[in-house]
Amino acid sequence: MKAYQADIAKFEATDTQVFGLSVDSVPANMEFAKQIGVTFPILSDFKKRSVVKDYGIFNEEQGFGNRATFVIDKEGIIRHIDEGRVAVDPTSAAEACNVLTHKKAIQ
Amino acid sequence: MIKKSLTLVLFLAALSVTALAQQPATSATPRPAAPPKTHLKVGQAAPEFNLPATDGKTYKLSDFKGKKNVVLAAYVLAFTGG
Repeated sequence: MKAYQADIAKFEATDTQVFGLSVDSVPANMEFAKQIGVTFPILSDFKKRSVVKDYGIFNEEQGFGNRATFVIDKEGIIRHIDEGRVAVDPTSAAEACNVLTHKKAIQ
Repeated sequence: MIKKSLTLVLFLAALSVTALAQQPATSATPRPAAPPKTHLKVGQAAPEFNLPATDGKTYKLSDFKGKKNVVLAAYVLAFTGG
């Protein structure tokens, strides 16, 4: 999350809305955001956990969501997916957004 | 007096040995199971969401259609860093 916050300008420059997503409650996410200085909205899939299931990132056995990043274009089509440890680094997601908006990779 | 301090030293030594002996046990905690692989693929339509956020608003993916790209950065739990 911190890394996404650090790169928020890159995403904004590509006409992109960044969301965090977790299975924590809104108050827990608010505290988390405050602690690490995140300004973008963090969505809370706390009640039904239906969104993390729809996105295939919910660990049924352990009851939590996996780390993953989805880049969705303006038509609602998934254009890029990062899963696991690589999803911590926003570079490839930012580049995917840049390609979507400017049709070219970050120089 | 000397005997007393010696007992204390021995006691402290025993304590630290116990602490050391316990350390490998904590680091040997089983690692979390392999993360699930999403069934979604690049090129597919992203599933709709309609969720409350930290800014007090509720966001729907369809609200951004034709307006903005959306990046969804999901993480296991809050307070896990990254």
